[in-house]
Amino acid sequence: MKKLKPRQRLFVYQLMMYGLAAVFVLVVATQADWPKIQKNFFNTEIAADMFPEVITSAVKNTALYTALSFVLGMVLALALALMRLSSLKPFRAFAIGYIELFRGLPALITLLFVGFGLPIAFSGFRIPGGVLGRGSVGLALVAGAYMAETLRAGIEAVPKGQTEAARSLGMSQTRTMFTIILPQAFRIIIPPLTNELVLLIKDTSLFFILGSTPGTKELTKFARDFMNAERNATPLTVVAILYLLITLPLTFLVRRLERSAAKAR
Amino acid sequence: MTHAIDVRNLHKAFGDLEVLQGIDFTVETGEVVCVLGPSGSGKSTLLRCLNRLEEPNGGQILIDGEDMTDPDADVDQLRTNIGMVFQQFNLFPHLTVLKNLTVAQTGVLGRPKAEAISIAREMLERVGLSDKTHDYPAHLSGGQQQRVAIARALSMKPKMMLFDEPTSALDPELVGEVLDVMRTLADEGMTMMVVTHEIGFAQEVADRVVFMDAGVVVEEGRPEQVLEHPAHERTKKFLRMVSEH
Repeated sequence: MKKLKPRQRLFVYQLMMYGLAAVFVLVVATQADWPKIQKNFFNTEIAADMFPEVITSAVKNTALYTALSFVLGMVLALALALMRLSSLKPFRAFAIGYIELFRGLPALITLLFVGFGLPIAFSGFRIPGGVLGRGSVGLALVAGAYMAETLRAGIEAVPKGQTEAARSLGMSQTRTMFTIILPQAFRIIIPPLTNELVLLIKDTSLFFILGSTPGTKELTKFARDFMNAERNATPLTVVAILYLLITLPLTFLVRRLERSAAKAR
Repeated sequence: MTHAIDVRNLHKAFGDLEVLQGIDFTVETGEVVCVLGPSGSGKSTLLRCLNRLEEPNGGQILIDGEDMTDPDADVDQLRTNIGMVFQQFNLFPHLTVLKNLTVAQTGVLGRPKAEAISIAREMLERVGLSDKTHDYPAHLSGGQQQRVAIARALSMKPKMMLFDEPTSALDPELVGEVLDVMRTLADEGMTMMVVTHEIGFAQEVADRVVFMDAGVVVEEGRPEQVLEHPAHERTKKFLRMVSEH
């Protein structure tokens, strides 16, 4: 057999790959039951029925749950990150223990603990605010653990000379942290923090476990109930598109931020 | 008489490495002292011990008669009397030049904002950068950044200024503008302690030169004495090596 030159070999290889992909597409296109798929996943009548509630109620709730979880999680993360970097060993130990615990558990378990465990353990105690309150606190407990590590990395990425300059001007340790270090740390961690936000948006789909009333359904629960009522999967397609409409711009933003951060360095 | 800086038997070790092995020296008010020495001689550590950016392991440091090493000393308050300029400038990159100069004035000294701003503008004029007031540090050259850093330290109206190799990170053509600012400051009577490799600056501006090696003060005296007629072999060797470059 004649030996091919490297460039020819690459050409043959690419030709094979494209051929394989073409065969795959052809098989799917001919074998799939298109009318059935359209009826079950792309039924425009059912899709139209979902509006406007899917926006005014479901998207609104998803956004609300995400926002509150993120804000509460951030506050918790700040406290944990500062404890993690504290010179006091008990603080450090607590922060490490907390972070490892909540990063190691499925978010669903934490939500169940907050929603149903707490009222049993402390009889009658309920976190106020219904599904919004309980769910957001539960998710914030998880998100706080992740964001604490992100924030710690950001704080440690600020050059040591910044602290020295601030302290040499007479600033206290606390003032240095809040006016000099944290503003710079947050700028560094905007990309990973946006990723956390995207994860949170998706995790709010776990809120169904806390029970729901028509007014508290977020996107996923809304779609599931709609699906069951109509015996049709179109609602899933609709909310999948809505999720992507929210998350894709965010991930796109992250990529741009990362690129501009790389350029600034 | 109280000295501006009075260091007594100062010791500092990093682990097993003894960086300062019993340093004694004084700086008088209005005096300009340049500290020379090979890298690793402990000169930067000495400077950083003075405002306790490094924690000394032993000895005493009196700044204008006040004990910096007293465990009960309000170090934050004492530091406002001691301006410091770093090799890497260390400007706050997220703040404008003006904000760099006012953030500690208002936050630490409690000066009203208007007063802080007017002091900041005055100091920027002194270092010749009035036109950069609203720029961010990243938009300035190294020499300009270091002049802003000097202005930032001066904004606190300190009693003395410490310079830790202020021109070592600069491109050669930018060294002059920083040294000019420091020379003016010296002429105006500021008490200054300068760790530097700029022999020419030491010769011209210093009232006294201190030569350090291996954690001890080898010799000190008038610049013409130490730099032109060094008494110790180690000083001679160092000066030979520096002048070869």
